[in-house]
Amino acid sequence: MTEPKQPTRPRRNYPAVYEKLIPIALGGIVVATLAALLFALAVALRLLPGVTP
Amino acid sequence: MQTLFTIIPFISSLISFVFAGLIFRRYLARRRAHLLLWGVGMVMYGIGGFCEGYDGAFGWNPVVFRLWYLFGAMLAAAWLGQGTAYLLVKRRWAHVLMVILGVASLYGAARVFGAQLDPAAMGGSLHTGSELSGKAIVSGGVRTLTPFFNLYGTALLVGGAIYSAWIFWRKRILLHRVIGNVLIATGALLPAFGGSFSRLGIVGALYISELLGAILMFVGFLRATTSMQPGEQA
Repeated sequence: MTEPKQPTRPRRNYPAVYEKLIPIALGGIVVATLAALLFALAVALRLLPGVTP
Repeated sequence: MQTLFTIIPFISSLISFVFAGLIFRRYLARRRAHLLLWGVGMVMYGIGGFCEGYDGAFGWNPVVFRLWYLFGAMLAAAWLGQGTAYLLVKRRWAHVLMVILGVASLYGAARVFGAQLDPAAMGGSLHTGSELSGKAIVSGGVRTLTPFFNLYGTALLVGGAIYSAWIFWRKRILLHRVIGNVLIATGALLPAFGGSFSRLGIVGALYISELLGAILMFVGFLRATTSMQPGEQA
């Protein structure tokens, strides 16, 4: 005799447009944050000509 | 152009103060520490914008410059980020960070108000001098403090908003909070970019980015605190 299978709850999804947009937005923010940090570092180390801290 | 650089910061300031008022009202209803600190942070953001507008309207004033640098350039992001620390970090650690930030802020205030200023230095290098710039502080060791405050604040505010959005997105719950946090993270990031573009000589970049940042954070807060479905927790 086998135990009855637990009914699996179907995963709820957000509306399709948000399913696509949200990961893009989150990835974009992470990339932008890293870019801002790199720029700040480059300015602090005086790596950009003409740009002073 | 100068008129625009006077009006834009005043609008940022007005939005920030209204936003702060809403946050304080929510704090009075819920008594959560993160709301109090976000409110204080937005008041600082608003003071920064007001001082920029004042400079555009009435010209150089050393007290206004010092207030701008202290609250707008040095402390606003850090105090907003501290609010996020109270939301996401264990309370004991949040208290420790709060004490460090409080002492550091007092030290920063003493250094800013004791610094020697030269408004002519704002037009140096690529910076056009059309917007206020920390370059007017000629005393050593003052401006070096600012990146530490801003790094701390931006990392917590942007990182915390991304983290919250990610958690809700992964569980596919509370869509309004995901959208709200994405907007808050974007808004918090914009002034950092504005400051960078301003250094590269792009006129108006700082003030415009601060205005857009205030609007996005405000809209994000409203979105995050207003449910999209009846009966759903806000």
